[in-house]
Amino acid sequence: MDFSLNEEQRAWQMKARKFALEEIRPISLERDRIADPHETFDWEIVKQGSRLGFRTAVVSKERGGHGIDFVTQALVMAELAKGDSAISKTFSQCWKWSHLIAAVCTEEQKGRFLGPFVADDTFVLGSGSTEPSSGSDNRLPPEDDPKAGIKLRAERRGDEWILNGDKVFIANGSIAKLFFLSARTNPHVPVSAGTTRFLVSSDTPGFRVGKVFNKSGWRFYQNAELIFENARVPHANLVGEVNRGRAEDGVGGLFNDLELAANAIGVCEAACEQALHTARTRMQGGRPLKDQQVVQLKFGRMHMLTEALRSYVLRVAWECDQKIRSPHAALLVNFSSDVIQEVTELCMDIHDGAGATMDLGVDKLVRDSFIWTHLAGDSVLRMKAARRIAK
Amino acid sequence: MYNLRLSAEQLEFRDTVREFVAQEVKPVAVSPQRLEAAERRLPMELLDKASGVGLRTLALSEELGGAGADNLTCCLVTEELAAGDADVAAVLTETSTLGHMLFDRLMTPIQRERFLPQFLADHRYHLALADHEPETDSALGVNYHRPVASEARIRTTAARTASGDWVINGVKDCVANAPVAKLIAVQVRTEADAPGAEGESMLLVPRETQGLVVRETADRWYHGACGELAMRDCLVPAGNLLGATGKGPLIPGAGSSGRGAAVYAALNLGIGRAAYEAALDYAKLRVQGGRRLIEHQAIGTKLAEIAIRLEVARAAIWQAAWASDHPEAVADRSLADLPLQTIAGVFTAEAVYRAAKDAAECFGAMGVMKDMPLQKYIHDALVCLHSGSGNSDAKLRIAEALAGSRRP
Repeated sequence: MDFSLNEEQRAWQMKARKFALEEIRPISLERDRIADPHETFDWEIVKQGSRLGFRTAVVSKERGGHGIDFVTQALVMAELAKGDSAISKTFSQCWKWSHLIAAVCTEEQKGRFLGPFVADDTFVLGSGSTEPSSGSDNRLPPEDDPKAGIKLRAERRGDEWILNGDKVFIANGSIAKLFFLSARTNPHVPVSAGTTRFLVSSDTPGFRVGKVFNKSGWRFYQNAELIFENARVPHANLVGEVNRGRAEDGVGGLFNDLELAANAIGVCEAACEQALHTARTRMQGGRPLKDQQVVQLKFGRMHMLTEALRSYVLRVAWECDQKIRSPHAALLVNFSSDVIQEVTELCMDIHDGAGATMDLGVDKLVRDSFIWTHLAGDSVLRMKAARRIAK
Repeated sequence: MYNLRLSAEQLEFRDTVREFVAQEVKPVAVSPQRLEAAERRLPMELLDKASGVGLRTLALSEELGGAGADNLTCCLVTEELAAGDADVAAVLTETSTLGHMLFDRLMTPIQRERFLPQFLADHRYHLALADHEPETDSALGVNYHRPVASEARIRTTAARTASGDWVINGVKDCVANAPVAKLIAVQVRTEADAPGAEGESMLLVPRETQGLVVRETADRWYHGACGELAMRDCLVPAGNLLGATGKGPLIPGAGSSGRGAAVYAALNLGIGRAAYEAALDYAKLRVQGGRRLIEHQAIGTKLAEIAIRLEVARAAIWQAAWASDHPEAVADRSLADLPLQTIAGVFTAEAVYRAAKDAAECFGAMGVMKDMPLQKYIHDALVCLHSGSGNSDAKLRIAEALAGSRRP
């Protein structure tokens, strides 16, 4: 057993910590407070982070990226999230699809898409699956129901595929230049057997971005509606095989769970820091709050949960690096939802007694934490983990 | 004898308010401009209509022109109102509770004659109680099982003029209803040397008093209306003294053990019910995984847990309210001699917050969208859970009561 980080891991961690403290945190709350969900986003922070390597961190060195391992990815996501959870996610969303490009794209596609991605500080990646009538249906498809799941149609016409339909809540939807898009290529079979994945550029004719969703948390993060009206996608952008779009995609698939849990560490750390600061500085009856048992019990529990989450995240990250398949990633994301919400709520508890006002940063941490149970369907994520165990 | 049947009158009250909420309140409550917690303004026209059907003067006795509702009936009404709109419920409940306290219990006949006619005639005549000051701490906290420090809690002073009138100077904050109140009961220090509450008195300060400035609290972490009072040489007549000087706090504020506490818990419960009803409707309608959401065990049990929490909270609130309406039930040992209203408040705040979160989860991504009401219900439940000194402090008060030590 060795819990120490190597020099490279440590260096990335420190770089992310510095960027989060000096650049992300100062804009976090002001971005959160902007009412128009389209205006909360800030290209400057993306460009700055990109120049430090955060946008392209998981693209291999041969392709011009940095090829950091999963442990480093977890460390960086946590550090960035301590500054702002949604800004961290904006970067790691690019990692998620970088992983997928590496896992499922042809060499020709990798060259065609990763080149421009690496070269452009404003090149952001996204992926579209969820539709108005299919959220859980795509994640936990009913085995025998062809009507359930993705409805966005893709039909072959010569060297092109013609896409028609809507996607909703799509992450980086209003800012991404390239999307992995799941479309139905056979509506007569269950979604697991009739879906194909395409790479769709944002300048595709017939494609446009609809509304940007106005969320109570993760306000910086752009979730948008994607609209396809006879959108024409070249056949060369088809990913993998026709009707095999829901197939397993290697270790990259585990990243989704690791990503949320690692991000949660940062939010929990921010909550712990905030709570301790209040407990040390706010006085009651001439003594700091931290002298009171009820407050001690709260920040003690906050730290206990945060450290347990950190240990679990690093174990799963290590398993990903060792290519070990286990149900731990799925369990980890369930655990992170419980922990992030309890820790941020306890932080708010410690801020009670401030009368008619609530610390805006403390409120933001709680609102951001709600996203964990609304992102991919909380019950669905728990069922997926349980089914992997029982399999 | 154990009887939980509501009287015909109580049922009628509830039905009337439920109908009013469905027709008038709900359509306004779920309109886009009211879904944004930070932006929402009080719907004054709605408050006027509610006053028109008697909800502003609900607890005021019938002899004085009100509806004479007891605490339990007030809880029934407040739950219904809050299931429609928590802000509307909060303003009406505060005025109604204070209306009973001030006009029925504390004012002299002469004071009543001066203030009651306007109160009855004006739909926008709201009431407020100003008993909190900036930088003062109302938490029990370090004083748990210890005598409360004798340092002055009230620094607002009222000095007597030669003619016996009062000149008030000081600042109050966290005053519920301040921005809409036309008459404010203000806690002041009348004897600088008397220890603690013994030097405190209560004065009636009309809104138009010279030198009184009311400012709305900027960051919105409350229900209804809330504000700060700055009083600079405010002159009020001798006849505005409520009760006698040096009598300390005469009105237990909402959140403490007074009549307001159960009603406030009922308001909280109404928020939970709005979330529950939305989730239940959606779960019966939305199909995923080949069947309606409610037919999936995971969602079915979630809804069951919400229902359990809300039913148990309601039972605790009704018991606490009924106990305050029937003090003899504690005296004859039918009910435990415990701070039942605080107990109901603590349980309800935790139950409703959990219920609102679970209800929102049934909506998936739509549960956190600002153009949907679920995020508002969660916010509203959080405000209940974390206002005043919070649940931890309320538990300390309950624990002291368990040990047999009672505070005023």
